[in-house]
Amino acid sequence: MMVRTEKLSASLEDYLEAIFWIAQSKGAARAKDIAKRLCVKASSVTGALQSLGEKKYVNYAPYDVITLTSEGLEVAKKVVRRHQILKDFFVDVLGVDADIADEGACSLEHSIPRTVVERLVDFMEFMEVCPRGGKDWLKGFADQCNAQKKHNCEKCMDACLKKFRKEKQIMITEEKTTTVADLKPKQKGVVIKINRRGAIAKRLAEMGIGRGTLVEFERVAPLGDPIDIKVKGYHLSLRKSEAADIIISAK
Amino acid sequence: MQKQNTITTDRDAVVFGDSVRDVSKKTITVAVAGNPNSGKTTVFNALTGARQHVGNYPGVTVDKVEGICKYKGYEIELVDLPGTYSLTAFSIEEVVARNFIVDENPDVVVDIVDSSNLERNLYLATQLVEMNVPLVLAFNMTDIVERRGIVFDNAMLSKFFNASIVPIVGKKAKGLDKLLDAVIETAENPRPKDDHIVHYGDEVEEELTKIQNLLTGEHYLVEKYGSRWLALKLLEQDKDILDKGHKPEVIDAVAKSVRHLTKITGEDPEITVASQRYGFISGACEETVRGSVELRHSRSDLVDKVVLNRVLAIPIFAGLMYGVFKLTFTIGEPFMGIIEGFFGWLSTAITGLWPAGSESALKSLIVDGVIGGVGGVIVFVPNIMLLFLAIAILEDSGYMARAAFIMDRVMHKIGLHGKSFIPMLIGFGCSVPAIMGTRVLENRRSRLTTILVIPLMSCGARLPIYILLIPAFFAAKWHGLVMWSMYMIGIILAIVCAKLLRNTLFKGETLPFVMELPPFRVPTLRGVLTHMWQRSWMYLKKAGTILLGISIILWAATSYPKPAEEKLAGLSAEQAQTVQLRHSLAGRVGSVMEIAVKPLGFDYRIGTALIGALAAKEVFVAQMGIVYSLGDSEGSSQTLREKLANNYSPLQGFCIMLFCLISAPCMATLAICKRETGSWRWALFQFCGLTVLAYIVTLVVYQIGSLIIA
Ligand SMILES: Nc1nc2c(ncn2[C@@H]2O[C@H](COP(=O)(O)OP(=O)(O)O)[C@@H](O)[C@H]2O)c(=O)[nH]1
Repeated sequence: MMVRTEKLSASLEDYLEAIFWIAQSKGAARAKDIAKRLCVKASSVTGALQSLGEKKYVNYAPYDVITLTSEGLEVAKKVVRRHQILKDFFVDVLGVDADIADEGACSLEHSIPRTVVERLVDFMEFMEVCPRGGKDWLKGFADQCNAQKKHNCEKCMDACLKKFRKEKQIMITEEKTTTVADLKPKQKGVVIKINRRGAIAKRLAEMGIGRGTLVEFERVAPLGDPIDIKVKGYHLSLRKSEAADIIISAK
Repeated sequence: MQKQNTITTDRDAVVFGDSVRDVSKKTITVAVAGNPNSGKTTVFNALTGARQHVGNYPGVTVDKVEGICKYKGYEIELVDLPGTYSLTAFSIEEVVARNFIVDENPDVVVDIVDSSNLERNLYLATQLVEMNVPLVLAFNMTDIVERRGIVFDNAMLSKFFNASIVPIVGKKAKGLDKLLDAVIETAENPRPKDDHIVHYGDEVEEELTKIQNLLTGEHYLVEKYGSRWLALKLLEQDKDILDKGHKPEVIDAVAKSVRHLTKITGEDPEITVASQRYGFISGACEETVRGSVELRHSRSDLVDKVVLNRVLAIPIFAGLMYGVFKLTFTIGEPFMGIIEGFFGWLSTAITGLWPAGSESALKSLIVDGVIGGVGGVIVFVPNIMLLFLAIAILEDSGYMARAAFIMDRVMHKIGLHGKSFIPMLIGFGCSVPAIMGTRVLENRRSRLTTILVIPLMSCGARLPIYILLIPAFFAAKWHGLVMWSMYMIGIILAIVCAKLLRNTLFKGETLPFVMELPPFRVPTLRGVLTHMWQRSWMYLKKAGTILLGISIILWAATSYPKPAEEKLAGLSAEQAQTVQLRHSLAGRVGSVMEIAVKPLGFDYRIGTALIGALAAKEVFVAQMGIVYSLGDSEGSSQTLREKLANNYSPLQGFCIMLFCLISAPCMATLAICKRETGSWRWALFQFCGLTVLAYIVTLVVYQIGSLIIA
């Protein structure tokens, strides 16, 4: 798509970015809006626009409204995104104030290599999901910077582990698990795990109920308690309290 | 029957054939193992015919059936191991089966495998292979497998399990020759041992090796069990094996390994081991079983649809139970009459051996003691045989497991198990077979609780007491209600006692209800009769001998010491009997007891009669008859009922029934309780406990009742 290899200079990228933002709020940009936003003289704007027009990034005719071409939009978006990423990194990770972050982003966005930006993005995504880092870790860093509180590592790590377990649990339940006790007649499921220790767990294992076993619910006893399930081709009865500890994936 | 013919012909062939071998004495001992319901009994019966001997494994009440089968000049001694799903220490049966194999070292172990339920049945087989025993796998029920169109690659399976595989049909005695051939072959040329068939995964194997290396120091145990098996059992936390007196470093190493494995896998090692075994079995089956299209609706499933239907299940269950009672007590009745008649005739005949009117201690001992006692046991035999017949039919057909399934909800509420229901129900007939019926309970705590409360189910022998007393004290319109209340009081007390026992003496988790519901099968006549006969015989032998002793003691207590001759002069026979009873030990104890039973509203006459009731509940009625003929010189113008009505208030009458209902169970129950629990301790605990309970309940009822009435 990017057939043209020529690079835009830093200031031209600024122009595209400005046009993008103005077009976002007003639909189309005028030369004086651009001059105002970039704090430059109107004459410099005209020169830049002519150059961008030649490169087919903007639809430009003197005294008419200015719009971005599809290529222009493409480039503008990239610049905008780079800016946003840098700003986010400064604010979210380094805990810098928004205004200073904006300034920093502006000055870095044109010179920073693409791969570095991409890495920054990856890193931030990783921070979001990694149980060892995450928002709490960043908050710890921010606290450290502001020297507000002394960080309690032990507590933090505990909290981190707790959160991780909870998330894992949610992930498992999201896999649509249920228990044998909750099945309806003729429903089937594959055993994921048995939430029980001791003699009953052992008995179940010996009777062939282990991870991966297919279990089919047959019926409930007339008085409502023991249930009749089919495993490995034979019928087995269990109390509901026992069946409730057999976690299966619902099929 | 067929089998026996083939056996003889085969033997003849060897004896008279050209291959002259030493056929004189070659003995092979064979242990027959297998899952419950795999057809083990059927195959065992077919192999041994009537040449069976029922005994007990030492120290436990697990039947040990032994039999002999002669084949091709070999004398094959078979021992029927209890039916088990596994060989861990989960139940007494499993420990018994395992210990037999380890301690008795049978030449060959035959595992009866229900091949229509292959994977589950091979679990036991896997464990047997790991025990390094010479093994033959008898694939039973191949008729069902064939009908389902499933084909096994036996040669390949045989390689996987390092054992010969013989397909048989136990019910039709098919393939038994081949089975015996395989047994002989295995005994003569055992396969090289290979206890490594299952690979338990690198983590477990690593720990196994560690433990095995330490075990070399425990030579005597390794020699007996094999180091891999021993290590495996230790890792499985097998209590029985852990208690074998290992060195501390072994125990430490095991504990460490267990902790390590638990951490890695997140489950106890025994669970991992069990899953791996099943993994091995699934793998083996995948490669060797063809065409295993699972039949969605087997015949058994269709029967279950009706029998376990939410609406029909309970009526069908109630109907069947009613049928069992009807069968037992209605059909049993005439036989009982015949037997009573026979013993009546016998005692008259024996009395006739002595000159009329003469007194002889020997005559009295034989007639009143021995015949009275033995007769007391034999009289129940028809009932008991019929009851056992019905139970055998229900059991062999597979219904018994369903009955437990249906009733578990109720029984679980009072801390018992679904399987406790049937024995308790039988208790309304007679406590003796009821207590024997508790053998189906695997857990000792549940079983003891059930045994201890069974006598509270008002048995058939209490009926004559109610029939005598209720009309004497209550108006006709109350008869039904009073009778019903007696049964209800028994049931309520049983529930209360069961709950109490489970919360005190027999605390602990209730038995899990992880129970197989075996497929419905038409029972074979032979299987049913064998089951019935074995149990009836046990009843006769054990309860009989103890009961005989006790009835002789009771006879002596009511006959001695004798009053002086002159005291009896001029009295009618009946009056003489009464005087003699008062003078006897039992009579004297009865008089002494008066002090104790006074607060219950009883006098010495009731006390004496209650002593008689110890032998059997219905004796109470006869004893009251004897006691009340005292001083009746003008002849019996009044019936016993009228006398009772004149002498006691309705409250006293009710208290008598109450006491008879709750108090000390009869001697036969005491004897069977001792036998089934394995110690006098529980029998006496039951005896005293119930008597104390009866005393307290009756005391409260009488005292409070007196206050209200007064
Ligand atoms: N179809 C079929 N039924 C069998 C075979 N062997 C035994 N049975 C039936 O299976 C049921 C259970 O047999 P039983 O010997 O009591 O089993 P056990 O509990 O292992 O002793 C009985 O109803 C037998 O009639 C067989 O080879 N084929």
